Amino acid sequence: MEHADQYSWIIPFVPLPVPLPIPILIGMGLLLFPTATKNLRRMWAFPNILLLSIVMIFSLDLSIQQINGSSIYQYVWSWTINNDFSFEFGYFIDSLTSIMSILITTVEIFVLIYSDNYMSHDEGYLRFFAYMSLFNTSMLGLVTSCNLIQIYIFWELVGMCSYLLIGFWFTRPAAANACQKAFVTNRIGDFGLLLGILGFYWITGSFEFQDLFEIFNNLIYYNEVHFLFVTLCASLLFAGAQFTLHVWLHDAMEGPTPISALIHAATMVAAGIFLVARLLPLFIVIPYIMNLISLIGIITVLLGATLALAQNDIKRGLAYSTMSQLGYMMLALGMGSYRAALFHLITHAYSKVLLFLASGSIIHSMEAIVGYSPEKSQNMVFMGGLRKHVPVTQIAFLVGTLSLCGIPPLACFWSKDEILSDSWLYSPIFAIIAWSTAGLTAFYMFRIYLLTFEGHLNVHFQKYSGKKSSSFYSIKLWGKEEQKIINRNFRLFPLLTLTMNNNEQPYTIGGKKEARITITNFGYKKAFSYPHESDNTMLFPMLILLLFTLFVGAIAIPFNQEGMHLDILSKLLTPSINLLHQNSNDFEDSYQFFKNATFSVSIACFGIFTAFLLYKPFYSSVQNLNLLNSFVKRGLKRILLDKIIYLIYNWSYNRGYIDMFYSISLTKRYKRIGRTNSFF
Amino acid sequence: MNYFPWLTIIVFLPISAGSLLFFLPHKGNKLIKWYTICICILELLLTTYAFCYHFRLDDPLIQLAEDYKWINFFDFYWRLGIDGLSIGPILLTGFITTLATLAAWPVTRDSRLFHFLMLAMYSGQIGSFSSRDLLLFFIMWEFELIPVYLLLSMWGGKKRLYSATKFILYTAGGSVFLLIGVLGLGLYGSNEPTLNFETLANQSYPVALEIIFYIGFLIAFAVKSPIIPLHTWLPDTHGEAHYSTCMLLAGILLKMGAYGLVRINMELLPHAHSIFSPWLIIVGTMQIIYAASTSLGQRNLKKRIAYSSVSHMGFIIIGIGSITDTGLNGAILQIISHGFIGAALFFLAGTSYDRMRLVYLDEMGGMAVSIPKIFTMFSILSMASLALPGMSGFVAELIVFFGIITSQKYFLMPKILITFVMAIGMILTPIYSLSMSRQMFYGYKLFNAPSSYFFDSGPRELFVSISIFLPVIGIGIYPDFVLSLSGEKVETILYNYFYR
Repeated sequence: MEHADQYSWIIPFVPLPVPLPIPILIGMGLLLFPTATKNLRRMWAFPNILLLSIVMIFSLDLSIQQINGSSIYQYVWSWTINNDFSFEFGYFIDSLTSIMSILITTVEIFVLIYSDNYMSHDEGYLRFFAYMSLFNTSMLGLVTSCNLIQIYIFWELVGMCSYLLIGFWFTRPAAANACQKAFVTNRIGDFGLLLGILGFYWITGSFEFQDLFEIFNNLIYYNEVHFLFVTLCASLLFAGAQFTLHVWLHDAMEGPTPISALIHAATMVAAGIFLVARLLPLFIVIPYIMNLISLIGIITVLLGATLALAQNDIKRGLAYSTMSQLGYMMLALGMGSYRAALFHLITHAYSKVLLFLASGSIIHSMEAIVGYSPEKSQNMVFMGGLRKHVPVTQIAFLVGTLSLCGIPPLACFWSKDEILSDSWLYSPIFAIIAWSTAGLTAFYMFRIYLLTFEGHLNVHFQKYSGKKSSSFYSIKLWGKEEQKIINRNFRLFPLLTLTMNNNEQPYTIGGKKEARITITNFGYKKAFSYPHESDNTMLFPMLILLLFTLFVGAIAIPFNQEGMHLDILSKLLTPSINLLHQNSNDFEDSYQFFKNATFSVSIACFGIFTAFLLYKPFYSSVQNLNLLNSFVKRGLKRILLDKIIYLIYNWSYNRGYIDMFYSISLTKRYKRIGRTNSFF
Repeated sequence: MNYFPWLTIIVFLPISAGSLLFFLPHKGNKLIKWYTICICILELLLTTYAFCYHFRLDDPLIQLAEDYKWINFFDFYWRLGIDGLSIGPILLTGFITTLATLAAWPVTRDSRLFHFLMLAMYSGQIGSFSSRDLLLFFIMWEFELIPVYLLLSMWGGKKRLYSATKFILYTAGGSVFLLIGVLGLGLYGSNEPTLNFETLANQSYPVALEIIFYIGFLIAFAVKSPIIPLHTWLPDTHGEAHYSTCMLLAGILLKMGAYGLVRINMELLPHAHSIFSPWLIIVGTMQIIYAASTSLGQRNLKKRIAYSSVSHMGFIIIGIGSITDTGLNGAILQIISHGFIGAALFFLAGTSYDRMRLVYLDEMGGMAVSIPKIFTMFSILSMASLALPGMSGFVAELIVFFGIITSQKYFLMPKILITFVMAIGMILTPIYSLSMSRQMFYGYKLFNAPSSYFFDSGPRELFVSISIFLPVIGIGIYPDFVLSLSGEKVETILYNYFYR
């Protein structure tokens, strides 16, 4: 424990107080001296990034300590002391915390650098940075918190930050609705969390993690608590962690383009995984809960993947893929392979950040051409052929996509493979679903990639289709003219049509300035303009993250030194829980590894191939029409197949009808109750 | 000990200085405003000074006590004194009233009378919080109704007379029960009326009689607090009143009901309270859900906020009903915290009404661009109202939750049920409060009149809202500010329940 003495002075600096002054200062400045603060706006990004880098260095230091000798530090101060109750506040630092804090800080630093350029023309630049650092604070607070109350507090604060970020462009009605929906959904999660916390407090009388686990295990061991009640409480806790995942994820994309999407996809949603990982010692003694967790995980995997199939919006597609990947992590946690879950959390976060930043860069380039409305600038229908115009972004996006598909040298391959091979040991049914979803992942990711980067820039296609160049007509990209040629071949293309509303009101984004730009860009004055590559400030973080994506898998590749098969990650997680690999042989391990790897890569390749087949840019696919036609003609049940595909696409496009169900069953009923009550 | 009559001075200063308002020269409203503000600040400083130097926190007994014989033949004393329970509401009164007078600067019609009434209300409220005599409590309670009624009936919206009448009918009806209770308690047992709180607290009654007394007091306080189904005066009153009156109503007046519930029902009638407390909890949970779901159906902005305060009062009732140390502390914390939050929300609603001149939420929209400061403060305080951690409401509600969970009076199943329903209320809160802020500020609006340009809040309004916001966040981060005031007293009150 000499490390603890040596380094104890840095511990309090690591978590929350570091980035906190920034939002307070900015807020005060904006309220009291608006003009002066706005004039100095670019200066504010600097201390923000600086402080975060300091935090990152601290957390690196911490994790090095954790690798050398994994010990748990806990520092507690009392918050309120009363006769009957006392709340405490403190830090709890173990390997999980150090992994999470490194992850959060690195991601956030790059995002901040990126958004300095991305948001530089927005009127809410300062507000954005204030929200971001508030978000960082609460995330860091969440991962370092030492008791359940603290977890709840920061959980809620993270929810508030997401509310603020989603509603960042508050003049958009869609954003206004989305942020409220996100908050309410988060609150439903908090509801479960709070009830679970209260239940466990009632059982054990403690909030501290270590005490809680200890007391709880004793109670279970002596069979002193009512089993049903415990299960209920634990599932509530779990529901609190998991509920944040998906209903609001779609709407979360209303935020400033890739940044908030990234926040939600890479960082905030990871908080749910963090919570389950943190409380795993609690869940692991209750087998029902573990089964429930893996069941929810597998459902999420499948649901996310199917929903991602037909998204036209590039960000939403990525968001649903995040959901699917989170399902993998949850599945891994439920199976008890803690290590694989955390590994996938890390690799997925970096790959997904890369993807989101790249997509943001694309959107930034597209905005100049199609206008600032998110329905246009983020719509993949308008993209295509961007490879020539934004080469660096294309490389970044391709690497991210390949990584997510699980192509060997890249990050996600290692972790996903680990999860998939573990799933065989757990249950064959789950394994089959997980494997096939890996193929689905490759399919939808490459669908996004192909629609975006291959072919021709589809914005200009309206000219070929014989319509006038004004975009105020409803744009049917694959309209009647083309249908004569390609209708037989591309069954999926008509499903991609998007009817634009003619009388769509121009959105005012953030104020008058943007509004003016929006209106001027509506007319397509520039006849043939092409998207440009983004600035260096935006490309730099992308390139760094590209390196991360390439090499982060290395932390779990065993170094063969002195007969010890220990990699960094397993060093970090030595005392962790592993249910599946009790006695594994080295030789058998590597054989198993290669077998699984070949299998998973071939599945991914199959998915990619299918995507190529269906979404190949159509000018080139005309050439091998015969091949496709032969496929089509062979199928006599074509109508049936069409119907099935149509069904899947509708399911995906309507987000699994879940939103519709909620709005019909809950929202309307609630409103009716409100009206009825107001008569009295 | 110190024999300087601090409390008498504190009670009498505002009204006597206020009556001097009528002798001020007619030099416009500015003089009146400044004079009133100065009196309010002086009073607040005086209160703070007296409490700082002459009040010891670790002493659960009555302090700064004063005892003068007032009316000889029926043993009526001028008894004042404060303890841990009343110090919080008194300081809250001083704070909110000062800010309400500052908020009332745009009032120009009869400003002399308006400010006098504000000061009179100040006296009445501090008097009722600090009185140690049952009859004096009743008198102060009634005394403070008159300025409220006048404030309601003379300043405000179009239907103000209707709402003022509704208010006075409800509260006067409640006062009848209060009077019956006071006289019953005072005259019971001995030939001479005993009206002192200390002696009454040690008296015991037959159970049936105690229950009758309890019901009487409960009705009186339920009107004021409000507890459903006696809350219907509140949305009407708040919807029509001027916003500085609303600040007083939401910030202080509602708290008098809760205060009375603790002071009289809990302290003087413990047996009946332990019989009634399950019902209180059930009513409280129903109130949280009912008011929260009604709030969404309201079109009127102020009515919506009014229902939100009804919903928040449910937590106080539950905390009082839980009969635990934790729960009661939570209730007291919620009294203070909602005093700040409710007042601030009404203030912000009023200032934005001054600009938009729109009452109904569905007519508003897109105000965020033109009044960003009000937007900021409003969203912060609606966050506070939905119990965001780091703000005072969260700590209060959390402590009430723990009070329920740790309560030994109830069985497991009812506790689970109650907690569950309360937690549903926690989901409903953001729905109404965020949709309120969304309907007011989010979105865009193309105004028909191009000349409509709104001034953002000036330094005065910003000062008011920030100075309400600071204690909210202060209590949220360090709740011991309030809990240390009331902790000892709460323990003493609850001692009665276990050892008698």
